[in-house]
Order: sequence, then structure tokens, then C-alpha cells
Amino acid sequence: MTTVDLNVSPMGRVEGDLDVRVTIDDGVVASAWTEAAMFRGFEIILRGKDPQAGLIVTPRICGICGGSHLYKAAYALDVAWQTELPPNATLIRNIAQACETLQSIPRCFYALFAIDLTNPRYASSQLHPEAVRRFTPFTGSSYGPGVVLSAKPIEVYAIFGGQWPHSSFMVPGGVMCAPTLADVTRSIAILEHWKTEWLEKQWLGCSVERWLANRTWADVLAWVYENEAQHDSDCGFFLRYCLDIGLDGYGQGIGNYLATGTYFAPDLYGRPTIEGRNAALIGRSGVYAGGAYTAFDQARVREDVTHSFYAGSSARHPFDGETNPIDPVRGREQGKYSWAKSPRYDVPNLGYVPLEAGPLARRVAAAAPGAAAHQDDDPLFGDILDAIGPSVLVRLLARMHEAAKYYQWVRGWLDQIDLHEPFHATPVQRADGRGFGSTEAARGSLSDWIVLENGKIANYQVVTPTAWNIGPRDGAGTPGPIEAALVGTPVADPADPVELGHVARSFDSCLVCTVHAYDGRTGKELSRFVINGDL
Amino acid sequence: MSSVLWFQGGACSGNTMSFLNAEEPTVIDLITDFGLDLLWHPSLGLATGGQARELFWNCARGERPVDIFVFEGSVIRGPDGSGRFDVFADRPMQDWVRDLAGQAQVVVAIGDCACWGGVPATAPNPTDSTGLQFHKRAPGGFLGPDFRSRAGLPVINVPGCPAHPDWITQILVALATGRAADIALDELHRPQTFFTSFTHTGCTRNQYFEYKQSTLTFGDGTRQGCLFYEFGCRGPMTHSPCNRILWNRQSSKTRVGMPCIGCTEPEFPFFDLAPGTVFATQKVAGVIPREVPEGSGHLTYLAQAATARLAAPEWSKKDMFVV
Repeated sequence: MTTVDLNVSPMGRVEGDLDVRVTIDDGVVASAWTEAAMFRGFEIILRGKDPQAGLIVTPRICGICGGSHLYKAAYALDVAWQTELPPNATLIRNIAQACETLQSIPRCFYALFAIDLTNPRYASSQLHPEAVRRFTPFTGSSYGPGVVLSAKPIEVYAIFGGQWPHSSFMVPGGVMCAPTLADVTRSIAILEHWKTEWLEKQWLGCSVERWLANRTWADVLAWVYENEAQHDSDCGFFLRYCLDIGLDGYGQGIGNYLATGTYFAPDLYGRPTIEGRNAALIGRSGVYAGGAYTAFDQARVREDVTHSFYAGSSARHPFDGETNPIDPVRGREQGKYSWAKSPRYDVPNLGYVPLEAGPLARRVAAAAPGAAAHQDDDPLFGDILDAIGPSVLVRLLARMHEAAKYYQWVRGWLDQIDLHEPFHATPVQRADGRGFGSTEAARGSLSDWIVLENGKIANYQVVTPTAWNIGPRDGAGTPGPIEAALVGTPVADPADPVELGHVARSFDSCLVCTVHAYDGRTGKELSRFVINGDL
Repeated sequence: MSSVLWFQGGACSGNTMSFLNAEEPTVIDLITDFGLDLLWHPSLGLATGGQARELFWNCARGERPVDIFVFEGSVIRGPDGSGRFDVFADRPMQDWVRDLAGQAQVVVAIGDCACWGGVPATAPNPTDSTGLQFHKRAPGGFLGPDFRSRAGLPVINVPGCPAHPDWITQILVALATGRAADIALDELHRPQTFFTSFTHTGCTRNQYFEYKQSTLTFGDGTRQGCLFYEFGCRGPMTHSPCNRILWNRQSSKTRVGMPCIGCTEPEFPFFDLAPGTVFATQKVAGVIPREVPEGSGHLTYLAQAATARLAAPEWSKKDMFVV
């Protein structure tokens, strides 16, 4: 048996730089440790500040998901201040955040994921020359238009929010804008342009409606070969190529999923509360663990810091959460190895377990029984998981599937805006209160817990999808989702472990990775490899 | 051909995301038409990962020329000056920054964090973050007030949270086309061509400002009025072209009804976000704005405001941005 230690040093953005150490036995990853290597201290900055400070600070946690940060920060305050939300405000918030995600889907695919598909490692595939032709950075025939057209959906964001990234136009009680007729018609025109030019012409090779008619994995495979346009579209090619090079074969992950859900039915969340949240969601929440569905309950979340560079080894609920950083040199002496905390969820009968967040988790929640009429009810990924199980391919397909779905939703919400009705209801600024706000950023569940005392922020805790996915081992020694997903990954060439990049990128986990390969016995460095990330 | 190396420190990637929204030129044009040789960028990666770390060291040692070193994010110095809150490629990011800034022909700070510390440097500045050559408004920062790059230039600051893509691309094109000498800088090292006018310049609410008519509520309330009087808009005190060069080709924060929060100025976020300061005009005696438009005195401002209110025509008290 050959043992190799790969010190994957994914220099991640957003949640910080990330190092991953991997042990490889006989060409397969045996264990992995993810080490977030940057700390910025936003939760500390927010202590004692204006109750609305989170609307300005939390979008700056992540410039990629800033609109999602704003969305959940506004809802956390809505809950704490017990505001009323006019239906128009809910619609505008939905539209804006969904447009951020529509921007992120192609950017992530072309700029991050697909460039790995051109790797010489796959030169033996007959489809490799076509992958190079399409996906080569900057000059690929699909790369350029995919990246440039991704700026279109956020033009719609700017029409309502002024700019993207980093507007703070969602406030307790609604939104700051009051669009005019031309704002709505222009938004529709921009969205239709993006749908026609990228989503249908380049990505799908068919109408949005045709793609969304796929209900099973067999449907998807039949769709690929239904006609030339679909077969040769980026989606058709992606499916054929990934199956050819085996991306359906690894990166399974833990098989337990969390979606906190997002987008509210305007008539059902006029008075945002924690209790009323699940039922008001359009994109459903839900936990799927141990083969069973349960309803999402924020009270079951804990953040374990046993292996994180914070004082102590507690596992607190975010309302009681602490952020007390320590010098990583001291932390390492205590067995700590990451700036990420380890979010865990108390699943009935299973106890505190890690959960995978992201588009696949959302698709799993959407396949659960019991959807109300206003809710996403989509069996496709339930069937895909039954048919072929989770993998790098399935995780990517889940993300891309949402482009068609969210386009339809945004289009419908634009039609529902009533220009003659209010967009904001001035709230009572309560000095004390607690709030929980959550959403689904492009890459997964994103939540704020805020505690207000005497007109100031007493505690503010943010749990990001990246923390759910890249978090380190918990107090019980259970690895986090990406640590677990890397296990079992075949590495054909330790000098160029592109497979690890596929797994990391399938989580869209804001990673820029440098891989250091060491011979496990001699400690001699074999290679270094950088995996970019973060769109 | 100009070589560009782009690193991120205490960053959210917002400036990179903004940069990707560029048109005329697009990011693709920059690489393919203007011949920018992007040596490395955290997100815009090439498939040549294997050599990246060697590349960083070659650049840091001066063995590989770097024409433009772009830095995004704050320089994180904590804990205790060690920089260990931000480790990149096996060493504190601040060590990379010191080496690379010393080798590059030109150093460009993109976004507030790199210019002067930005949001991470907000009190209590838990990571001891600072900017490349300023800490908030004070000259110095990480590299010191006397720093000059190999081309003899101080750090060029392109502030904003984030910076507008045009501010970034036009400066990169100017550098790449040999116009470095045309980039006149103000006292905060910002390109004057962008940061002489105010956010106020070109704001669609100027006619309400002229007659001192206030927006009273958010949402449908922003169909009229100026956000300066109640909602803390910093447009008249903030240097930016946000209403000359629109965002995402469509709009700006003040146009849609969001007060300017002054994010191209070193003090952003203002008042360290203390209670009562967010989206609220700070006032003296409950009515007089504590800060008046740049260059005005309180007395002259009040006199002008009183006259303006008297002169206010009927339309200035009505909705203008109507359905």
C-alpha cells in the first residue's frame, strides 16, 4: 500500500483562505482535514452597534452572495422588530436575491468548474477537444459569453437596489425603492435577453419549459439525445462529458442535507416570525438525514468550536454564540485547525450531525412530499439520487437546474408587482428583541441570529453555507461535509490531483486551492497545485 | 504587454465580482484585446495550477517581472503583528504584500479595504486590519507614507465598497497603454478623473435638494424628495462618480432611494456604525444637519436653505418618480 499525504492548501476567499490536508492510500483519499486560514471578525465588529448595522456589514462578508446576506439580515430585523411587510416588498426582495443567484450560476460554472474539464488528464476522452474548445479560460467559445452574460441578471438587481454588489436597499419593513413602470418593463426585457441568449440558446438548447418537464434521470438522459440542439448545448455536452470521464462516480458526501429555504409567498409572510417561516416559503426548507425528512427548526442548530480557533470547546446555539478568536499557534496546541466553526444540527433520533448545504440540498428539500400549492414541488433530484446517487456531476446539475426554475419565478414575481401599492411600512424600532433571518444563497443555507438589547446589537451570529460545508471536525470527531466528501476520491496523479478540485468546486465552496503532495513515508514534497475558487 | 498579479487579503471578493460586471472593456476584452497578462487571480484561474506557488515566489523575489500588483482586501496584521489571522500559501499574507509591493512597477489598491482598511478595520478592528498606504484618512497604512513602487508612484487607490468596474478597468487600461503619467491623484491617492465630483453630481434628486425637500419614508416615499435631510445621505460630502457612471449600466443607490453611505471615503463605515447612525442624518439641536455639503459653512447653508424653502415651487413637494 502506498500512502501519500496531500496537503491541499485551497486558498479560499470569502470565508478565508483554506488549507486541506488529504491522506491517500493506494490512490484513493482516506481522510481529509479542511483548515480555513483567514479571520476577519465581523461578528465582533457588530457587537454594540446600531441594530441596522448588519444590513451594511453582513453583505461585505461575501461579495458573491452579498444580496443574500442582505436578504436574511433584513428578515432577522423584521422578526426582531415585528414589522409588517407589504406584498410588494416581499416580491422585490425575492426578485433581487434570485437575480443574484442567476448571475452566480453561469459564473461559477464557466469561470471555476468547467475550466477543470479541459485538464490534460482527460485527453483520452474523445470529447476532450470539444471541452477545450468550449471551456478554455477567456478564449473558449462558451467561456466568454457565459461569463459576460452573467452580468445581465444583476442589472435587474441594480434597477431595484441601485447597484450590485453591495447595496443595502432591503430594510426592516420593506425596501427603499419604489419602482416605476419602466423599471419593471426594462427588468423583464433584460431577463428575457439573458434567458434567450444564454439560458436557452447556449446552455439548454431548448426552452425553459422543455427542460423543466424532466422529472426523472431517465428523462434527462432521453433529453440529451432528443435532438441535435440539446445534444450539442453546453448542458448536453456537460452531461455527456461528465459521464464519460466519471464525474458521476465520486464526491458522494455525507448524504444528509439541510435547506433553510428561501423566497416567500407575499401574502403569507406579511408579519415575519420564526414560527411562520417554513409554511410561507416558496423554495422549501427541510432536513433530510438518515433517510428521513424532518422540518427545519432553527432551535436545533449548534456551532461547535472544538477544532476551531476560538476559546473553549462549546457547542452553542447561535443566539448564545460567542466569537472569541485565539492565536492559531495556541489553537493548534489544543488540536484546533480552522477558523470555520462546525455547524451541527440536532436531527431527531440521530443527534447532532453535519449537514450538506447547497443546491443539491435544496433540490432534495423540493422533492419531499407535502408541498403546499405555492411551494416548489420538484421530484427530479429525488429520482436522480435514487437512480445514481450523489456525486460531483449531480451537485453541479442541481445548481444548473435552478437557472431555469428561478428564471420562471423571477418572471412571475415581476408580473405580480402592483406599482400603485406600498413598498415599505415604517417599523417601530424596538430596543430589545431577537430575530432569525435565513435564505438560500447560491451555494446554500445562510442565516443570521440577532439579539438586540437597549437599542444596540448585543449579539450577532452568522452561519454561512461555507461553514456548513467546510467546517472542521466537531467535538465527537465527526468530519465536516467536504472533509467527508473528499474521502473515497480517486487521485490518478498526485502531481495534478484535479479530482480534488472537482469535489471542492462541486460544493462551490469559495475555495482557491493549493495542493501540496507529500510522500507519506519520507515526507518529501511531490507536487503543488493551485485550484482557484470563489465566484 | 503588461503583467498583472492580483491578490486578496481581508477581502469579500466584492471588487472582483464588480470587476466581472465590466463592459467596454469586458474582462475578456482586457485579456484578449489589451494584452493584459494576468499572471494569477484568485478567481480567474488558468489551468496552470501546478506552477502557481513557484510563480508567487518568483514574483516576490523579483525573478519574474510584475508590472501591476493589484491588491483587494485589507492587510491583516493581527494577532500581535504576526499576520496569522490571514495565511496564504504557507505564510502570512502581509509578508507576500510587502515582497510583491516592493517588486511591482505599479501597485493598485482596489476597494476600501485595500485603500484604507474598510469594513474589517471598523472599531474594534479585531484583526488589526489596515490599508496599503492609508489607515482610514491617516497616511501610512501597511507600506508607510513614503512608499513608492518601482515606477516611482505611490499606491494608486481605487476606493469604493466595492469599486465600480469602470474605475478599475479604465485605470488598468491606462496603465497598460502607457498612460500612467496621466493618472493625476488627489491627496488620498485617488484618480482625480473619477473622484473630484460628488456622488451628488448627477443625482436625480438634485432638484429636491435645491429646494430642500426631504424624503420622509422609504419605499413609495422615495418617489419624491432628497435623502440628505432624514436618511443620512452622504452624497454632497462623498467624492465618487456614482451618478455619472451608473452601476450595472442601470442606476445608482441614490436614484433608487438608498442614501449614499459614503463608501469611497476613508471613514466608511461612518461613525463605526454606532447606535443611531445608520440611515439617519446626524443633527445639531434636532434639526440642523451636523454635516453640510463640502465647502459650505453652517450659517451660509442655513441661510440658503431657508431661502430655498421659501422659493420651493409646488412640484418640488410632489412625487416625481411616478408610475
